[in-house]
Amino acid sequence: MPEHVLNFTRVFDAPRDLVFRCMVEPHHLTRFWGPIGTSTPLDQISVDARPGGTFATVMVNDSDGSRYATSATYVEVRAPERLSWLEGHSGMAVTVTFTDLGDNRTQVDIEQSNVPEQLLDPRAQAGFLTSLDRFASHLATLTVAQR
Amino acid sequence: MTTTVEQRLDATFAALADPTRRAIVTRLTAGDATVKELAEPFDLSLPGISKHLKVLERSGLITRSRQAQFRPCHLERDQLDAAVDWIEANRRLWSQRFDQLDVHLRTLQANPNGENDA
Repeated sequence: MPEHVLNFTRVFDAPRDLVFRCMVEPHHLTRFWGPIGTSTPLDQISVDARPGGTFATVMVNDSDGSRYATSATYVEVRAPERLSWLEGHSGMAVTVTFTDLGDNRTQVDIEQSNVPEQLLDPRAQAGFLTSLDRFASHLATLTVAQR
Repeated sequence: MTTTVEQRLDATFAALADPTRRAIVTRLTAGDATVKELAEPFDLSLPGISKHLKVLERSGLITRSRQAQFRPCHLERDQLDAAVDWIEANRRLWSQRFDQLDVHLRTLQANPNGENDA
């Protein structure tokens, strides 16, 4: 297993099928994929949701029109529970797990890893996130992250 | 350009993947230190600590003075900040993405026909 560099979890008040479809259907992705201040034009989202298929988007900055293209290849597509892809632009592996919590609620877990060999030791990984969180609080002068 | 940045981040994360090296970096956030000072809290020989310092040096996280006799180690905060910034930017990206997905899901469910139109 590759190292998990970053993990995110969110619970949505929506059925699992619908949440899964939002992550693989362009007319849904266009509504939420780009971060605040950007848009992700529908005609530039390309989804071929099967192993080896392409997942590409272009995020357009609303204020200056600058474009950021992303391109990934699906590794695993198992509707409605699991989705993973490898990002060419960042070298990251992203795995999305959809868990049905009942009561119309769905938990989505994002696990992101980049895969330098040195990080493949699970013991090394255990302390990794906590340490970096600690660094974040240690360092007084964090510059604002780039878009 | 992206490749270089990504490669540097990889090197940074790899260097930080070891608890001793993380402890060294944490110590250096308080100020420069010599190899001897860095070795003290650990049950490590000077050569042992030097090995870790070499990895940190190669990653660009620390530099060592060429002039001073004891060659104190210096933390390159920009490099560490870049790693922390990257994680923060990524966290923010997913957080905003999910905020927007949450709104989208609510809209869809409030108006199920809209979903069929799309």
